[in-house]
Amino acid sequence: MRDQMWTSLGEKIEPVWAPEREDAVRAAIARRATRRRAVVRTAIAVASTGMIAVGGFALVRWQSAGPVAAPSVSSARAVPNPAPAGGAGETVTVTRLSSDTVLAPLPDRNGRGFALRAGGARFSVPHDPDRPFVVAAGDVTIEDLGTTFTVRYLSADRLKIAVEDGRVRVRAGGSDSEVPAGATLEVPISPVVEGPRGEPQPAAVAASSWRPLAERGQYEEARRALRKAGPSAVRDDTADLLLAADAARLSGHPAEAVPYLERVLRGHARDPRAGLAAFTLGRVLLDELGRPSEAVDAFALARSSGGPLAEDALAREVEALSRAGDVTRSRELALLYRRLYPNGRRAKAVSRFGGLD
Amino acid sequence: MSPKPHLRLASPAPDLVAGGPVEFNELFARYGQYVARLASRLLGSGDTEVDDVVQDVFLLASRRLPAIVDMIQARGWLATVTTRLVARRLRRRRFRSLFLASPRGQEVPAPGATPEQRALLRRLYEVLEGLPTAERVAWSLRYLEGEPLDIVAAACGCSLATAKRRVSAAKKTIDEVFGNA
Repeated sequence: MRDQMWTSLGEKIEPVWAPEREDAVRAAIARRATRRRAVVRTAIAVASTGMIAVGGFALVRWQSAGPVAAPSVSSARAVPNPAPAGGAGETVTVTRLSSDTVLAPLPDRNGRGFALRAGGARFSVPHDPDRPFVVAAGDVTIEDLGTTFTVRYLSADRLKIAVEDGRVRVRAGGSDSEVPAGATLEVPISPVVEGPRGEPQPAAVAASSWRPLAERGQYEEARRALRKAGPSAVRDDTADLLLAADAARLSGHPAEAVPYLERVLRGHARDPRAGLAAFTLGRVLLDELGRPSEAVDAFALARSSGGPLAEDALAREVEALSRAGDVTRSRELALLYRRLYPNGRRAKAVSRFGGLD
Repeated sequence: MSPKPHLRLASPAPDLVAGGPVEFNELFARYGQYVARLASRLLGSGDTEVDDVVQDVFLLASRRLPAIVDMIQARGWLATVTTRLVARRLRRRRFRSLFLASPRGQEVPAPGATPEQRALLRRLYEVLEGLPTAERVAWSLRYLEGEPLDIVAAACGCSLATAKRRVSAAKKTIDEVFGNA
């Protein structure tokens, strides 16, 4: 039978399975098992690293896009700026840094002001000279000058401001100071008068003083109180004059700010904040009152004061000269800007106003 | 007329105890040669390819030891795994042959065969190369390995009827080539 023949033929097929061959195959299996375990471990490590990276990225995205909700503020996320500069869709991004953060929008600020009552928050703010962004924490007011910054309570009576980008102006204890990018500032803090629900009570405070109102960013109420109280309500010191100027210009009455700023320049020219007053005066004159010739002098004064505002002051001086029709001087200063700040952040605008394009 | 099966899967060694724990070294020592022989008969090739299959089978076994109940069950499990790995290897070999010239393989090891039997084996594997893999494997298990049809079906992972059909189809071709004396 042929079927039987195949079976007996199959029995002849017999590989030589000597101990050496058995050992070699066994060793190969052990090697492959080891290699496989290494590959599996590497794959797990890579996958874990990837998952951690993705998780971290998602967490960062989540924190910056949607902060932890607190009952006192439900809208403190990316707050749309109703009138963004240049018409672009710029937003104010507010991120709570801890679950105990208590943050409330200031009234009448259209998302451009918050009261920080506890914890800490990070603010990323497109600068709008017409509507500065402010954060009020107790009697301390932080005003952005185009920036990303963090405000955090270190304790009930101490506040820490850290600036990541741009600058902020901090008003605390009746004096102003500017905090540049990369710097931090710790200031003592006193609680402000608050109503039963924790909201500021402007009417109650306005009767007694315009200052707390202005310090909390309630500039319209502060201006009204100031007018009611008369010129003597503003002390002849730099902080009070700057605060009064802010109350005037930030409530939409820039012309009323000019005398206060000029008083700083006349009476307190050696004050470190005189440069800031000059720069603010230049902006008011140029941007809000359309008086570029006078703005040139203010910016020149701000530039001569040096400090972090010097670059901006020179750039705005070029712009003011251009608008005033002084093309020659505008070009000279534009060339000066290019030499002093070859990678300056205002180089493009300076070239345009200085006629260097 | 059906051949007399060897019933290797149905007749485990008398010293094996059902339900005992399975150690890898013991498994390999006991069944390494069996797997090599089965792979050699199914593949019809020499030592290198056979060793690769043995490695694959026991590497898999090392990962599946908890699923192997005892040494008696292990033999059937190893036969099934070997059959499937060999079938996969044969399909790859056939696919490669569509694009590449088939390398001349090592001759199947048959140390006790006469020169006439070696020549017959060479011719047999040439014919088997032309058969579909499933039919080739089923026929090889049935006639070269001498397994009964139910074991062939289990090893091939198909029904008994399918196993019969595959064995029958391959047998028909082989009988045509060699004549059914």
